[in-house]
Amino acid sequence: MRAWVGPLAVAAVLALGGILAVAAITGPRAEPVAQTLAAELRCPDCQALSVAESRTAAANAIRAEISAQLAAGRTADEVRQHFVDRYGSWILLRPASPLAWLLPLLAIAASVGVLGLWLLRRRPAPVTEPAQVDDETRRRLAREAESLDG
Amino acid sequence: MRSGVRWLLLPVLLLPVGWLLFANIGVDPRTIPSRVVGKALPTFSLPTLDGTTLTDADLVGRPAVINFWASWCGPCVDEHPVLLDAAQRLGGEVQLVGVVYQDSPERAAAWLRRYGDGGWPDAVDDGSLAIDFGVTGPPETYFVDADGIIRDRVVGPVSTRAMAEGLAAIGVDAS
Amino acid sequence: MLPTIGHAAIVVALALSLYATLAFGLGARRRDRSAVASGRHAMLAAFALAAAASVAMMASLLGHDFSIAYVARNNATTTPPFYSVISLWAALEGSILFWALLLTGWSGLVLHRYRNRHAELMPWVGVTLALVSAFFFAVMAWPGNPFERLTPVPAEGNGPNALLQNHPFMGLHPPLLYLGYTGLAVPFAFGVAALVTGRTQAEWLAIVRRWTVIPWIFLTAGIVAGAWWSYEVLGWGGYWAWDPVENAALMPWLAATAFIHSSMVAERRGGLRVFTMALVVFTFVLTLVGTFLTRSGVVASVHAFTASSIGPWFAVAILLALGGGLGLLLWRLPALADRRPPPLAVSRESAFLLNNVLFLGLTVVVLFGTMLPMVVEAATGERISVGAPYFNAINAPLFAALIFLMAIGPALPWGGTSWSTIRERFAGPALLAVALTLAGVLLGMRGIAQLGTLFLAVFVVGVLGDEVVRGARSRARTRGEPPPVAAWRLATRNRRRYGGYLVHAGICLMAISVAVSATGARQAAATLDVGESMTIGGYTLTLREVVVEPLPDDARVIETRAVVDYGGAQSGSLATAQRDYPSSTTPIATPGVRTFATEDLYVTLLQADANGGAASLQVFLNPLVAWIWVGGFVVVAGAVFAAWPERRRLAMAEVAAAGRRDAPASVPAEGASP
Repeated sequence: MRAWVGPLAVAAVLALGGILAVAAITGPRAEPVAQTLAAELRCPDCQALSVAESRTAAANAIRAEISAQLAAGRTADEVRQHFVDRYGSWILLRPASPLAWLLPLLAIAASVGVLGLWLLRRRPAPVTEPAQVDDETRRRLAREAESLDG
Repeated sequence: MRSGVRWLLLPVLLLPVGWLLFANIGVDPRTIPSRVVGKALPTFSLPTLDGTTLTDADLVGRPAVINFWASWCGPCVDEHPVLLDAAQRLGGEVQLVGVVYQDSPERAAAWLRRYGDGGWPDAVDDGSLAIDFGVTGPPETYFVDADGIIRDRVVGPVSTRAMAEGLAAIGVDAS
Repeated sequence: MLPTIGHAAIVVALALSLYATLAFGLGARRRDRSAVASGRHAMLAAFALAAAASVAMMASLLGHDFSIAYVARNNATTTPPFYSVISLWAALEGSILFWALLLTGWSGLVLHRYRNRHAELMPWVGVTLALVSAFFFAVMAWPGNPFERLTPVPAEGNGPNALLQNHPFMGLHPPLLYLGYTGLAVPFAFGVAALVTGRTQAEWLAIVRRWTVIPWIFLTAGIVAGAWWSYEVLGWGGYWAWDPVENAALMPWLAATAFIHSSMVAERRGGLRVFTMALVVFTFVLTLVGTFLTRSGVVASVHAFTASSIGPWFAVAILLALGGGLGLLLWRLPALADRRPPPLAVSRESAFLLNNVLFLGLTVVVLFGTMLPMVVEAATGERISVGAPYFNAINAPLFAALIFLMAIGPALPWGGTSWSTIRERFAGPALLAVALTLAGVLLGMRGIAQLGTLFLAVFVVGVLGDEVVRGARSRARTRGEPPPVAAWRLATRNRRRYGGYLVHAGICLMAISVAVSATGARQAAATLDVGESMTIGGYTLTLREVVVEPLPDDARVIETRAVVDYGGAQSGSLATAQRDYPSSTTPIATPGVRTFATEDLYVTLLQADANGGAASLQVFLNPLVAWIWVGGFVVVAGAVFAAWPERRRLAMAEVAAAGRRDAPASVPAEGASP
């Protein structure tokens, strides 16, 4: 493998990351507010679907109400609150409490952190490899050792 | 790990899990506690099946029973005799109001001809009154006292007993 | 007669499983082989009795015996035979009977297969499996009796739940899931046995991995089949709603997947024993939690059965399994502790460890989200919801990180690596992934979800493909075999590794399809008169006719059918229907789905006016959905390839080598041995 391939790949991945970030920010995926709101509100007369996905009577009524309120100039937060006042926080498929979001994220971050600290903990100095074995041989040995295990 | 201390993990884990498992047994996840009970009647002005207009002001001053229904709703047929009976016996003390939910006025009128028209007004809702009440689906019945405060709510078909309890909550003796 | 036989079979099976528990226990304490053999025979007899009870129930359903409450609730004289038979698992009591049947079946298989091996472990495996079986029989003997009688006997039954008699997939998806759930009791039993006996070395690990992979295959197939069923039946255009029942199947799957990966590190390094053991306990407890959530009516779900009295029984069972497993683990903790130095930060071990943390993270998020409404309700009395927007937002990055690890992990050497190895293995695939992602942009893919997933998936498949090509080439060179032969031999000589690669490739296929279908679907709704048309994404749909008629095989069910002609890149016609079942207050929609290579045309009938000849239609154009099912199939195929017994092949090879050409076609195989 030529030496320039690695840096090129890193540069390409970084460039792609930039493109993706720009695509994520400016992308045409801005859904209509009504659609986003409908996907966040639970359909009262079915069990696990949002009103965006359901076609029951109540879901139809709530979608119509969302459109009407948005047309009347209310903001998304006001519309959300309108439904919470009437149905309770039960109507929100995305729980409003920050704890619901923070607890699992903290748990995962803490586990990754503990794992990272453990892996980076001081360890016995690495055994220096004999100089006379060249890279190619070492790679071949590693490959053959690996093809022996699963 | 020091001996002994690790056993603390057992109660620390099991007690909350046990509490969680047992605390929820017997809770019916399908009934959603109402947000509007205890609050004042929302304002509305809706056309009725017989061509007049019904507003919230019409309901203040006398206890009222508001029933959300539709011609496409099966359980509404089952509860209808209970409503007819209440209207007949207590029509002087309490006013009954129907709200036609997500339905065409023609079909609703035909349904009333078939299953019996109790003579009370039936407002035709475009959906927003039902949302103001937090209706999950018909049939659903709300009991409103003379001051216009919502006092009780029944999800699903109203039984004779639920009707009596609801009426008691708004100061009407159904016996 | 039949209900009496069925009930008697359950009671005797309960007694036998309790007897087996004692016999295995005695056998273990006194090292008494005949007591262990007696326990094993009792478990085999319990399986036979569970089978008899299941057959009695199926026959009662087929014969519409409404003197049994379960039959009266879930069957009608008009129910077709196929749906009568599969109603065994259509509701609570029957599904517990089915569960007991599969559980005793797995138990009998394992106890029989290893009857002459692992003499220390097997008695305790028997104790655990017998005890778990006894629990299910006890549930049926008291709160969930499937053969409970009904007087007076009604002339007609309610019929099955309308949703469950709408698609033949109901005959496939629950049995697959249940095979997975019940099979996970086996690794738990081996874990308990290893902890009790203190034999926590490599011996149990190899058996447990095999016996986790087998149920994992069924669980995977069951989850994919369930998503497919949901897509083909529920009519909302999607396949996964983060419904509690879906989560209940996903949680043990995630935990079992974590275990399968951690066991590889444990086997390789000998460490991680506490963690691996805890995962085995956790996985089994999650199968019970899933049953508790879905079968006791504490959560609202499409599948939830009516509230029942089995809740406390399952709650106690969960506490016993969790407390017992954890207690044993704590008891053995000093002997299990890992005093090795940690692996190098950039090595296959550490990639697998990170994989485990992420899988457990996913499990915890799903568990937390599913239980949060229960916690809040119990603590404050308030009712809240946790749904798709929450799970998607938190889980999508975790899944993305896992896919990235799928490329990194298997390609990194054990023990550690150098910069040159990283460059050699990852630079080419990374360049390929960048190129294909840019091609995706040119082809019109948009959004971070689609492009990011495409990049990761191509990267994974590139790295894995490179590994296979490299290995095959090296083998072809050293042995002089033609490359395809070399590739096949390489794979079959190392099934676990290359089967695993195939599983990863299938997951990548599913990931791309999920990302594209979730963000690229189009939908439109319209009310059409007969002859009128609507358009969606290049297709023109014309309503041809609206028909209302009773079903030919069940006249009580009225079907409203709209026939739609479509034209565009493809043309043809499809029918979408609504069925009015007597057992359901709302009509059940049957979407019409046409699958093309790159997209599905999916039409749901919302409402129809037969007299006026008009219909309201909801139309979806779902890209790539069919590839999710293909990906699921690849995953299952890869896992089967990986789990395929190796000894059989070796035995055959030995036979062939001995020159015995007259050997029987089926060599007595030591198939499933580790």
